[in-house]
Amino acid sequence: MSAATRDTLVRLEVRGLSASYDGTTPALHDVSFSADSGQAVAVLGPNGGGKTTLFRALLGELAPAAGSVRIEGATAYVPQTERSRLDFPVSALDVALMGAYARTPWYRRFTAADRDLAQVALERVGIAEHARKRFGALSGGQRQRVLIARALVQDAGVLLLDEPFAGVDQTSEEAIMGILDDLRAEGRVLLIATHDVEQARRWDRVLCLRGAQVAYGPPSETLTNAVLEATYGAEIVMLDCGHRAVAVQHHHH
Amino acid sequence: MQRALLAALALSIAGGLLGTWIVLRRLAFFTHAAGSATFPGLVVAGPWGVAPQLAALAAGLGFAGLLSRITRSGATSTDAATGLLLAGALALGSVLASDVYRSGVGVDRLLFGTLLGLSDADVLLAAGVAAVAAAATAVLARTWLATGFDPGGARALGVATARGDWLLLALLAATVVAVLPAVGALLVSTLLVVPAATARLLTSSLPALLATSVALAGAESVAGLLLAYHLDLPPGPAIAIVGGAAFALAALVSAAPWRRGRRVTA
Repeated sequence: MSAATRDTLVRLEVRGLSASYDGTTPALHDVSFSADSGQAVAVLGPNGGGKTTLFRALLGELAPAAGSVRIEGATAYVPQTERSRLDFPVSALDVALMGAYARTPWYRRFTAADRDLAQVALERVGIAEHARKRFGALSGGQRQRVLIARALVQDAGVLLLDEPFAGVDQTSEEAIMGILDDLRAEGRVLLIATHDVEQARRWDRVLCLRGAQVAYGPPSETLTNAVLEATYGAEIVMLDCGHRAVAVQHHHH
Repeated sequence: MQRALLAALALSIAGGLLGTWIVLRRLAFFTHAAGSATFPGLVVAGPWGVAPQLAALAAGLGFAGLLSRITRSGATSTDAATGLLLAGALALGSVLASDVYRSGVGVDRLLFGTLLGLSDADVLLAAGVAAVAAAATAVLARTWLATGFDPGGARALGVATARGDWLLLALLAATVVAVLPAVGALLVSTLLVVPAATARLLTSSLPALLATSVALAGAESVAGLLLAYHLDLPPGPAIAIVGGAAFALAALVSAAPWRRGRRVTA
Protein backbone atom coordinates (compact mmCIF):
# COMPACT_ATOMS: atom_id res chain seq x y z
CA MET A 1 0.00 0.00 0.00
CA SER A 2 3.00 2.30 0.11
CA ALA A 3 3.86 4.64 -2.73
CA ALA A 4 6.82 2.40 -3.57
CA THR A 5 6.80 0.50 -6.85
CA ARG A 6 4.72 -2.68 -6.69
CA ASP A 7 6.54 -5.97 -7.07
CA THR A 8 4.08 -7.44 -9.55
CA LEU A 9 4.32 -6.28 -13.13
CA VAL A 10 1.04 -5.57 -14.82
CA ARG A 11 0.15 -5.84 -18.48
CA LEU A 12 -3.11 -5.35 -20.30
CA GLU A 13 -3.51 -6.55 -23.87
CA VAL A 14 -6.66 -6.32 -25.97
CA ARG A 15 -6.70 -7.76 -29.48
CA GLY A 16 -9.54 -7.35 -32.02
CA LEU A 17 -12.14 -7.11 -29.25
CA SER A 18 -15.81 -6.97 -30.22
CA ALA A 19 -18.61 -7.16 -27.65
CA SER A 20 -22.39 -7.26 -27.78
CA TYR A 21 -25.20 -7.18 -25.21
CA ASP A 22 -27.79 -9.05 -27.30
CA GLY A 23 -25.46 -11.38 -29.17
CA THR A 24 -26.18 -9.78 -32.54
CA THR A 25 -25.65 -5.99 -32.55
CA PRO A 26 -22.05 -5.15 -31.60
CA ALA A 27 -21.81 -2.39 -28.98
CA LEU A 28 -18.06 -2.28 -29.50
CA HIS A 29 -16.11 -3.44 -32.51
CA ASP A 30 -12.49 -4.25 -33.30
CA VAL A 31 -10.57 -2.68 -30.40
CA SER A 32 -6.84 -3.39 -30.06
CA PHE A 33 -4.47 -1.79 -27.62
CA SER A 34 -2.04 -2.66 -24.85
CA ALA A 35 -0.75 -0.96 -21.73
CA ASP A 36 2.13 -1.81 -19.42
CA SER A 37 2.94 -1.13 -15.78
CA GLY A 38 2.90 2.55 -14.99
CA GLN A 39 0.84 3.64 -17.98
CA ALA A 40 -2.33 5.67 -17.79
CA VAL A 41 -4.71 5.47 -20.73
CA ALA A 42 -7.49 7.98 -21.28
CA VAL A 43 -10.56 6.36 -22.85
CA LEU A 44 -12.29 9.08 -24.80
CA GLY A 45 -15.59 8.92 -26.62
CA PRO A 46 -19.19 10.13 -26.73
CA ASN A 47 -22.01 8.70 -24.62
CA GLY A 48 -22.81 5.28 -26.06
CA GLY A 49 -19.40 5.18 -27.73
CA GLY A 50 -18.40 1.95 -26.00
CA LYS A 51 -16.44 3.08 -22.93
CA THR A 52 -18.67 1.20 -20.48
CA THR A 53 -18.83 -1.82 -22.80
CA LEU A 54 -15.04 -1.92 -22.93
CA PHE A 55 -14.82 -1.77 -19.13
CA ARG A 56 -17.41 -4.56 -18.76
CA ALA A 57 -15.46 -6.72 -21.18
CA LEU A 58 -12.20 -6.03 -19.31
CA LEU A 59 -13.90 -6.98 -16.02
CA GLY A 60 -15.10 -10.27 -17.53
CA GLU A 61 -18.77 -9.27 -17.13
CA LEU A 62 -19.29 -9.34 -20.89
CA ALA A 63 -17.83 -12.18 -22.94
CA PRO A 64 -16.02 -11.02 -26.08
CA ALA A 65 -17.97 -11.76 -29.28
CA ALA A 66 -14.61 -11.73 -31.04
CA GLY A 67 -11.00 -11.09 -30.13
CA SER A 68 -9.30 -11.48 -26.76
CA VAL A 69 -8.53 -9.73 -23.49
CA ARG A 70 -5.41 -10.63 -21.51
CA ILE A 71 -4.76 -9.01 -18.16
CA GLU A 72 -1.83 -9.90 -15.92
CA GLY A 73 -2.87 -8.68 -12.48
CA ALA A 74 -6.13 -8.13 -10.61
CA THR A 75 -8.60 -5.59 -12.00
CA ALA A 76 -10.74 -3.14 -10.04
CA TYR A 77 -13.53 -0.86 -11.17
CA VAL A 78 -14.01 2.64 -9.75
CA PRO A 79 -17.55 3.79 -10.60
CA GLN A 80 -18.81 7.33 -10.81
CA THR A 81 -19.82 8.44 -7.35
CA GLU A 82 -23.27 9.49 -8.65
CA ARG A 83 -23.99 5.85 -9.44
CA SER A 84 -23.72 4.78 -5.80
CA ARG A 85 -26.56 5.08 -3.28
CA LEU A 86 -25.91 8.03 -0.99
CA ASP A 87 -28.64 7.06 1.49
CA PHE A 88 -27.10 3.69 2.42
CA PRO A 89 -26.07 3.19 6.06
CA VAL A 90 -22.37 2.76 5.28
CA SER A 91 -19.35 4.76 6.42
CA ALA A 92 -16.31 5.61 4.31
CA LEU A 93 -14.49 2.76 6.11
CA ASP A 94 -17.33 0.32 5.32
CA VAL A 95 -17.04 1.21 1.63
CA ALA A 96 -13.25 0.83 1.61
CA LEU A 97 -13.64 -2.57 3.31
CA MET A 98 -15.88 -3.74 0.45
CA GLY A 99 -12.58 -4.10 -1.41
CA ALA A 100 -11.85 -7.09 0.85
CA TYR A 101 -15.18 -8.88 0.16
CA ALA A 102 -13.73 -11.26 -2.44
CA ARG A 103 -11.15 -12.67 0.00
CA THR A 104 -13.40 -12.73 3.10
CA PRO A 105 -15.85 -15.67 3.38
CA TRP A 106 -19.31 -14.80 4.72
CA TYR A 107 -18.65 -16.62 7.99
CA ARG A 108 -15.50 -14.61 8.79
CA ARG A 109 -15.19 -11.07 10.07
CA PHE A 110 -12.71 -8.79 8.33
CA THR A 111 -9.17 -9.49 9.48
CA ALA A 112 -7.19 -6.87 11.38
CA ALA A 113 -4.87 -6.73 8.36
CA ASP A 114 -7.77 -5.84 6.05
CA ARG A 115 -9.04 -3.20 8.47
CA ASP A 116 -5.54 -1.71 8.61
CA LEU A 117 -5.34 -1.87 4.82
CA ALA A 118 -8.63 0.01 4.49
CA GLN A 119 -7.50 2.63 7.00
CA VAL A 120 -4.19 3.10 5.16
CA ALA A 121 -6.01 3.31 1.81
CA LEU A 122 -8.24 6.06 3.21
CA GLU A 123 -5.14 7.86 4.51
CA ARG A 124 -3.56 7.65 1.06
CA VAL A 125 -6.54 9.34 -0.54
CA GLY A 126 -6.74 11.93 2.24
CA ILE A 127 -9.99 10.76 3.82
CA ALA A 128 -8.70 9.12 7.03
CA GLU A 129 -10.27 11.78 9.26
CA HIS A 130 -13.67 11.06 7.68
CA ALA A 131 -13.39 7.25 7.94
CA ARG A 132 -16.43 6.93 10.21
CA LYS A 133 -18.53 9.52 8.45
CA ARG A 134 -21.50 8.33 6.44
CA PHE A 135 -20.47 7.91 2.79
CA GLY A 136 -23.46 9.93 1.58
CA ALA A 137 -22.51 12.85 3.84
CA LEU A 138 -19.16 13.33 2.08
CA SER A 139 -18.63 15.71 -0.84
CA GLY A 140 -18.53 14.35 -4.41
CA GLY A 141 -14.74 14.53 -4.54
CA GLN A 142 -14.36 12.86 -1.15
CA ARG A 143 -16.72 10.06 -2.19
CA GLN A 144 -14.73 9.53 -5.38
CA ARG A 145 -11.55 9.22 -3.31
CA VAL A 146 -13.23 6.65 -1.03
CA LEU A 147 -14.12 4.58 -4.10
CA ILE A 148 -10.47 4.75 -5.21
CA ALA A 149 -9.47 3.60 -1.69
CA ARG A 150 -11.83 0.62 -2.16
CA ALA A 151 -9.92 -0.33 -5.33
CA LEU A 152 -6.63 -0.05 -3.39
CA VAL A 153 -7.96 -2.48 -0.77
CA GLN A 154 -8.67 -4.88 -3.66
CA ASP A 155 -4.93 -4.52 -4.37
CA ALA A 156 -5.64 -4.30 -8.08
CA GLY A 157 -2.88 -3.79 -10.61
CA VAL A 158 -5.34 -2.49 -13.21
CA LEU A 159 -7.81 0.24 -12.28
CA LEU A 160 -10.74 1.10 -14.55
CA LEU A 161 -11.97 4.56 -13.56
CA ASP A 162 -15.33 5.69 -14.91
CA GLU A 163 -15.17 9.49 -15.28
CA PRO A 164 -13.46 10.07 -11.93
CA PHE A 165 -13.58 13.86 -12.33
CA ALA A 166 -17.31 14.13 -13.09
CA GLY A 167 -19.12 16.34 -10.57
CA VAL A 168 -15.93 16.99 -8.60
CA ASP A 169 -14.73 20.43 -7.47
CA GLN A 170 -11.35 21.88 -8.48
CA THR A 171 -9.63 21.02 -5.18
CA SER A 172 -10.77 17.42 -5.28
CA GLU A 173 -9.87 17.17 -8.97
CA GLU A 174 -6.29 18.17 -8.16
CA ALA A 175 -6.21 15.75 -5.21
CA ILE A 176 -7.52 12.88 -7.37
CA MET A 177 -5.04 13.77 -10.10
CA GLY A 178 -2.20 13.52 -7.55
CA ILE A 179 -3.47 10.14 -6.32
CA LEU A 180 -3.66 8.79 -9.87
CA ASP A 181 -0.14 10.04 -10.57
CA ASP A 182 1.07 8.15 -7.47
CA LEU A 183 -0.74 4.96 -8.52
CA ARG A 184 0.80 5.20 -11.97
CA ALA A 185 4.23 5.73 -10.44
CA GLU A 186 3.73 2.54 -8.41
CA GLY A 187 3.42 0.58 -11.64
CA ARG A 188 -0.35 0.19 -11.86
CA VAL A 189 -2.18 0.46 -15.17
CA LEU A 190 -4.96 3.05 -15.18
CA LEU A 191 -7.77 3.29 -17.72
CA ILE A 192 -9.61 6.56 -17.25
CA ALA A 193 -12.92 7.05 -19.07
CA THR A 194 -13.41 10.75 -19.71
CA HIS A 195 -15.21 13.27 -21.88
CA ASP A 196 -12.60 15.94 -21.27
CA VAL A 197 -10.04 16.24 -24.07
CA GLU A 198 -7.78 18.55 -22.04
CA GLN A 199 -7.84 16.00 -19.23
CA ALA A 200 -6.91 13.24 -21.70
CA ARG A 201 -3.77 15.16 -22.73
CA ARG A 202 -2.30 14.52 -19.29
CA TRP A 203 -2.13 10.75 -19.66
CA ASP A 204 0.36 8.52 -21.48
CA ARG A 205 -2.00 7.13 -24.11
CA VAL A 206 -5.42 7.99 -25.47
CA LEU A 207 -7.91 5.44 -26.78
CA CYS A 208 -10.67 7.06 -28.86
CA LEU A 209 -13.89 5.05 -29.23
CA ARG A 210 -17.02 5.56 -31.27
CA GLY A 211 -18.56 2.09 -31.36
CA ALA A 212 -15.20 0.98 -32.74
CA GLN A 213 -11.63 2.08 -32.17
CA VAL A 214 -10.93 5.42 -33.84
CA ALA A 215 -7.35 5.87 -32.62
CA TYR A 216 -4.88 4.75 -29.99
CA GLY A 217 -1.54 6.29 -29.14
CA PRO A 218 0.19 9.18 -27.39
CA PRO A 219 -1.94 12.32 -26.92
CA SER A 220 0.16 14.27 -29.42
CA GLU A 221 -0.79 11.80 -32.16
CA THR A 222 -4.39 11.03 -31.20
CA LEU A 223 -5.84 14.33 -30.02
CA THR A 224 -5.93 15.96 -33.42
CA ASN A 225 -8.91 17.76 -34.94
CA ALA A 226 -9.42 14.94 -37.45
CA VAL A 227 -9.47 12.20 -34.78
CA LEU A 228 -11.72 14.20 -32.43
CA GLU A 229 -14.19 14.89 -35.23
CA ALA A 230 -14.19 11.20 -36.10
CA THR A 231 -14.73 10.34 -32.43
CA TYR A 232 -17.45 12.84 -31.55
CA GLY A 233 -18.91 13.71 -34.97
CA ALA A 234 -21.57 16.42 -34.83
CA GLU A 235 -21.61 16.38 -31.03
CA ILE A 236 -18.35 18.29 -30.79
CA VAL A 237 -17.54 21.98 -31.09
CA MET A 238 -13.99 22.69 -32.20
CA LEU A 239 -12.38 25.93 -31.11
CA ASP A 240 -8.88 27.01 -32.12
CA CYS A 241 -7.02 28.37 -29.10
CA GLY A 242 -3.50 29.11 -30.25
CA HIS A 243 -1.95 25.77 -31.16
CA ARG A 244 -4.42 23.56 -29.31
CA ALA A 245 -7.82 22.21 -30.17
CA VAL A 246 -10.36 22.34 -27.37
CA ALA A 247 -13.30 19.96 -27.53
CA VAL A 248 -16.61 20.70 -25.92
CA GLN A 249 -19.14 17.90 -25.84
CA HIS A 250 -22.78 18.27 -24.99
CA HIS A 251 -22.91 15.90 -22.05
CA HIS A 252 -26.27 14.50 -21.00
CA HIS A 253 -26.67 12.93 -17.56
CA MET B 1 -53.23 -15.95 22.33
CA GLN B 2 -50.00 -17.82 23.15
CA ARG B 3 -49.89 -19.23 19.62
CA ALA B 4 -50.54 -15.78 18.18
CA LEU B 5 -47.66 -14.33 20.22
CA LEU B 6 -45.30 -17.08 19.05
CA ALA B 7 -46.27 -16.54 15.41
CA ALA B 8 -46.01 -12.77 15.74
CA LEU B 9 -42.51 -12.97 17.22
CA ALA B 10 -41.32 -15.42 14.55
CA LEU B 11 -42.78 -13.26 11.79
CA SER B 12 -41.17 -10.21 13.39
CA ILE B 13 -37.74 -11.78 13.02
CA ALA B 14 -38.39 -12.59 9.35
CA GLY B 15 -40.12 -9.27 8.66
CA GLY B 16 -37.56 -7.17 10.53
CA LEU B 17 -34.54 -8.75 8.83
CA LEU B 18 -35.99 -9.01 5.34
CA GLY B 19 -37.72 -5.64 5.71
CA THR B 20 -34.31 -4.02 6.14
CA TRP B 21 -33.29 -5.23 2.70
CA ILE B 22 -36.70 -4.40 1.22
CA VAL B 23 -36.38 -0.81 2.41
CA LEU B 24 -32.70 -0.45 1.47
CA ARG B 25 -33.34 -1.90 -2.00
CA ARG B 26 -36.50 0.22 -2.50
CA LEU B 27 -38.75 -2.81 -2.89
CA ALA B 28 -41.52 -1.57 -0.58
CA PHE B 29 -44.12 -1.01 -3.31
CA PHE B 30 -43.20 -4.29 -4.98
CA THR B 31 -43.66 -6.09 -1.64
CA HIS B 32 -47.06 -4.49 -1.03
CA ALA B 33 -48.16 -5.41 -4.54
CA ALA B 34 -46.83 -8.99 -4.23
CA GLY B 35 -48.90 -9.41 -1.05
CA SER B 36 -52.03 -8.00 -2.67
CA ALA B 37 -51.50 -10.14 -5.77
CA THR B 38 -52.03 -13.28 -3.67
CA PHE B 39 -55.66 -12.29 -2.99
CA PRO B 40 -57.21 -14.09 -6.01
CA GLY B 41 -55.20 -17.21 -5.14
CA LEU B 42 -56.44 -17.15 -1.56
CA VAL B 43 -60.05 -16.74 -2.73
CA VAL B 44 -59.94 -19.83 -4.98
CA ALA B 45 -57.86 -21.98 -2.59
CA GLY B 46 -60.85 -23.09 -0.47
CA PRO B 47 -63.31 -23.92 -3.28
CA TRP B 48 -60.58 -25.68 -5.27
CA GLY B 49 -59.33 -27.67 -2.27
CA VAL B 50 -55.78 -26.30 -2.55
CA ALA B 51 -53.58 -25.33 0.40
CA PRO B 52 -53.85 -21.51 0.74
CA GLN B 53 -50.05 -21.17 0.98
CA LEU B 54 -49.63 -22.94 -2.36
CA ALA B 55 -52.38 -20.91 -4.02
CA ALA B 56 -50.86 -17.69 -2.66
CA LEU B 57 -47.41 -18.69 -3.86
CA ALA B 58 -48.76 -19.50 -7.34
CA ALA B 59 -50.54 -16.13 -7.50
CA GLY B 60 -47.38 -14.34 -6.33
CA LEU B 61 -45.25 -16.09 -8.94
CA GLY B 62 -47.84 -15.24 -11.60
CA PHE B 63 -47.59 -11.60 -10.52
CA ALA B 64 -43.77 -11.65 -10.80
CA GLY B 65 -43.94 -13.34 -14.22
CA LEU B 66 -46.47 -10.84 -15.59
CA LEU B 67 -44.48 -7.92 -14.19
CA SER B 68 -41.36 -9.16 -15.93
CA ARG B 69 -43.28 -9.66 -19.20
CA ILE B 70 -44.92 -6.21 -19.16
CA THR B 71 -41.72 -4.31 -18.34
CA ARG B 72 -39.46 -6.27 -20.71
CA SER B 73 -39.82 -3.91 -23.66
CA GLY B 74 -39.12 -0.84 -21.52
CA ALA B 75 -42.31 0.87 -22.74
CA THR B 76 -43.95 0.55 -19.32
CA SER B 77 -42.08 1.46 -16.13
CA THR B 78 -41.84 -1.06 -13.30
CA ASP B 79 -43.81 1.25 -10.97
CA ALA B 80 -46.65 1.67 -13.45
CA ALA B 81 -46.77 -2.06 -14.23
CA THR B 82 -46.74 -2.91 -10.50
CA GLY B 83 -49.67 -0.52 -9.91
CA LEU B 84 -51.55 -2.00 -12.85
CA LEU B 85 -51.14 -5.57 -11.61
CA LEU B 86 -51.96 -4.57 -8.03
CA ALA B 87 -55.28 -3.07 -9.15
CA GLY B 88 -55.96 -6.03 -11.43
CA ALA B 89 -55.29 -8.59 -8.67
CA LEU B 90 -57.56 -6.82 -6.19
CA ALA B 91 -60.31 -6.47 -8.81
CA LEU B 92 -60.05 -10.13 -9.84
CA GLY B 93 -60.04 -11.27 -6.22
CA SER B 94 -63.10 -9.12 -5.43
CA VAL B 95 -65.08 -10.45 -8.40
CA LEU B 96 -64.14 -14.06 -7.57
CA ALA B 97 -65.05 -13.57 -3.91
CA SER B 98 -68.33 -11.72 -4.40
CA ASP B 99 -69.79 -13.14 -7.62
CA VAL B 100 -68.15 -16.49 -8.34
CA TYR B 101 -67.54 -18.19 -4.99
CA ARG B 102 -69.58 -15.87 -2.75
CA SER B 103 -66.93 -16.01 0.01
CA GLY B 104 -68.86 -13.46 2.11
CA VAL B 105 -67.27 -12.50 5.44
CA GLY B 106 -64.20 -14.69 4.69
CA VAL B 107 -62.88 -11.92 2.46
CA ASP B 108 -62.05 -9.75 5.49
CA ARG B 109 -59.92 -12.55 6.84
CA LEU B 110 -58.07 -12.96 3.53
CA LEU B 111 -57.41 -9.25 3.20
CA PHE B 112 -56.57 -8.38 6.82
CA GLY B 113 -55.53 -11.70 8.40
CA THR B 114 -56.46 -13.37 11.64
CA LEU B 115 -53.48 -13.60 13.93
CA LEU B 116 -55.69 -14.88 16.75
CA GLY B 117 -56.92 -17.86 14.71
CA LEU B 118 -53.70 -19.35 13.36
CA SER B 119 -53.11 -23.07 13.00
CA ASP B 120 -50.02 -24.99 14.16
CA ALA B 121 -48.94 -25.20 10.51
CA ASP B 122 -49.05 -21.38 10.25
CA VAL B 123 -46.83 -21.05 13.33
CA LEU B 124 -44.40 -23.65 12.02
CA LEU B 125 -44.20 -21.89 8.66
CA ALA B 126 -43.54 -18.58 10.44
CA ALA B 127 -40.73 -20.17 12.48
CA GLY B 128 -39.24 -21.75 9.36
CA VAL B 129 -39.24 -18.49 7.44
CA ALA B 130 -37.69 -16.70 10.43
CA ALA B 131 -34.85 -19.25 10.54
CA VAL B 132 -34.24 -18.97 6.78
CA ALA B 133 -34.32 -15.15 6.90
CA ALA B 134 -31.75 -15.13 9.72
CA ALA B 135 -29.49 -17.59 7.89
CA ALA B 136 -29.81 -15.73 4.58
CA THR B 137 -28.99 -12.40 6.23
CA ALA B 138 -25.87 -13.93 7.80
CA VAL B 139 -24.70 -15.45 4.53
CA LEU B 140 -25.79 -12.78 2.05
CA ALA B 141 -25.55 -9.49 3.97
CA ARG B 142 -22.37 -8.38 2.17
CA THR B 143 -23.77 -9.39 -1.22
CA TRP B 144 -27.05 -7.53 -0.67
CA LEU B 145 -25.27 -4.51 0.78
CA ALA B 146 -22.73 -4.19 -2.05
CA THR B 147 -25.35 -4.80 -4.76
CA GLY B 148 -27.73 -2.25 -3.33
CA PHE B 149 -25.05 0.34 -2.63
CA ASP B 150 -23.32 0.20 -5.99
CA PRO B 151 -25.09 -2.03 -8.54
CA GLY B 152 -22.59 -1.20 -11.29
CA GLY B 153 -19.47 -1.90 -9.26
CA ALA B 154 -20.59 -4.81 -7.06
CA ARG B 155 -19.71 -7.57 -9.53
CA ALA B 156 -16.19 -6.21 -9.86
CA LEU B 157 -15.84 -6.71 -6.08
CA GLY B 158 -16.36 -10.45 -6.58
CA VAL B 159 -20.00 -10.32 -5.48
CA ALA B 160 -22.51 -12.70 -7.14
CA THR B 161 -25.13 -10.00 -7.69
CA ALA B 162 -27.61 -11.94 -9.85
CA ARG B 163 -27.72 -14.93 -7.51
CA GLY B 164 -28.09 -12.62 -4.51
CA ASP B 165 -31.00 -10.78 -6.11
CA TRP B 166 -32.73 -14.02 -7.08
CA LEU B 167 -32.43 -15.35 -3.52
CA LEU B 168 -33.71 -12.07 -2.07
CA LEU B 169 -36.84 -12.15 -4.24
CA ALA B 170 -37.43 -15.87 -3.52
CA LEU B 171 -37.15 -15.24 0.23
CA LEU B 172 -39.42 -12.23 -0.09
CA ALA B 173 -42.07 -14.41 -1.79
CA ALA B 174 -41.81 -17.09 0.92
CA THR B 175 -42.06 -14.50 3.69
CA VAL B 176 -45.09 -12.86 2.08
CA VAL B 177 -46.81 -16.27 2.04
CA ALA B 178 -45.91 -16.86 5.71
CA VAL B 179 -47.17 -13.43 6.75
CA LEU B 180 -50.52 -13.71 4.91
CA PRO B 181 -52.49 -15.73 7.52
CA ALA B 182 -51.49 -13.27 10.24
CA VAL B 183 -52.03 -9.86 8.62
CA GLY B 184 -53.71 -10.64 5.30
CA ALA B 185 -53.00 -9.79 1.68
CA LEU B 186 -53.40 -6.03 2.12
CA LEU B 187 -51.26 -5.57 5.22
CA VAL B 188 -48.06 -7.50 4.51
CA SER B 189 -46.22 -4.17 4.60
CA THR B 190 -47.16 -3.90 8.28
CA LEU B 191 -44.47 -6.45 9.11
CA LEU B 192 -42.27 -6.31 6.00
CA VAL B 193 -41.88 -2.56 5.47
CA VAL B 194 -43.10 -0.40 8.37
CA PRO B 195 -40.68 -1.57 11.14
CA ALA B 196 -37.63 -1.32 8.86
CA ALA B 197 -38.71 2.07 7.51
CA THR B 198 -39.08 3.28 11.11
CA ALA B 199 -35.70 1.84 12.13
CA ARG B 200 -34.15 3.59 9.11
CA LEU B 201 -35.03 6.93 10.71
CA LEU B 202 -33.29 6.06 13.97
CA THR B 203 -30.11 4.26 12.91
CA SER B 204 -27.12 4.87 10.68
CA SER B 205 -25.30 1.55 10.53
CA LEU B 206 -26.42 -1.76 9.06
CA PRO B 207 -26.13 -3.86 12.26
CA ALA B 208 -28.13 -1.27 14.21
CA LEU B 209 -30.72 -1.08 11.43
CA LEU B 210 -31.21 -4.86 11.38
CA ALA B 211 -31.46 -5.12 15.19
CA THR B 212 -33.79 -2.13 15.54
CA SER B 213 -36.00 -3.33 12.72
CA VAL B 214 -36.48 -6.76 14.35
CA ALA B 215 -37.02 -5.20 17.79
CA LEU B 216 -39.60 -2.76 16.45
CA ALA B 217 -41.42 -5.46 14.48
CA GLY B 218 -41.63 -7.59 17.64
CA ALA B 219 -42.73 -4.72 19.89
CA GLU B 220 -45.33 -3.47 17.39
CA SER B 221 -46.72 -6.98 16.89
CA VAL B 222 -47.07 -7.66 20.63
CA ALA B 223 -48.54 -4.21 21.31
CA GLY B 224 -50.95 -4.59 18.37
CA LEU B 225 -52.01 -8.04 19.55
CA LEU B 226 -52.69 -6.82 23.09
CA LEU B 227 -54.61 -3.85 21.69
CA ALA B 228 -56.67 -6.17 19.48
CA TYR B 229 -57.34 -8.59 22.35
CA HIS B 230 -58.47 -5.95 24.83
CA LEU B 231 -60.37 -3.67 22.44
CA ASP B 232 -61.81 -6.47 20.28
CA LEU B 233 -60.14 -5.20 17.12
CA PRO B 234 -58.83 -7.26 14.17
CA PRO B 235 -55.10 -7.92 14.95
CA GLY B 236 -53.66 -7.02 11.51
CA PRO B 237 -55.06 -3.48 11.43
CA ALA B 238 -54.22 -3.02 15.14
CA ILE B 239 -50.55 -3.85 14.44
CA ALA B 240 -50.64 -1.51 11.44
CA ILE B 241 -51.94 1.34 13.60
CA VAL B 242 -49.22 0.77 16.22
CA GLY B 243 -46.59 0.62 13.45
CA GLY B 244 -47.85 3.86 11.92
CA ALA B 245 -47.76 5.59 15.30
CA ALA B 246 -44.20 4.34 15.93
CA PHE B 247 -43.13 5.65 12.53
CA ALA B 248 -44.63 9.08 13.24
CA LEU B 249 -42.85 9.22 16.61
CA ALA B 250 -39.55 8.15 15.04
CA ALA B 251 -39.93 10.82 12.35
CA LEU B 252 -40.33 13.45 15.08
CA VAL B 253 -37.32 12.14 17.01
CA SER B 254 -35.11 11.91 13.91
CA ALA B 255 -35.94 15.53 13.01
CA ALA B 256 -34.84 16.75 16.45
CA PRO B 257 -31.91 19.21 16.34
CA TRP B 258 -29.65 17.09 18.56
CA ARG B 259 -29.78 14.19 16.07
CA ARG B 260 -28.42 16.15 13.13
CA GLY B 261 -24.87 15.45 11.96
CA ARG B 262 -24.84 11.91 13.32
CA ARG B 263 -21.75 9.82 12.72
CA VAL B 264 -21.85 6.16 11.82
CA THR B 265 -19.77 3.30 13.05
CA ALA B 266 -18.12 0.79 10.76
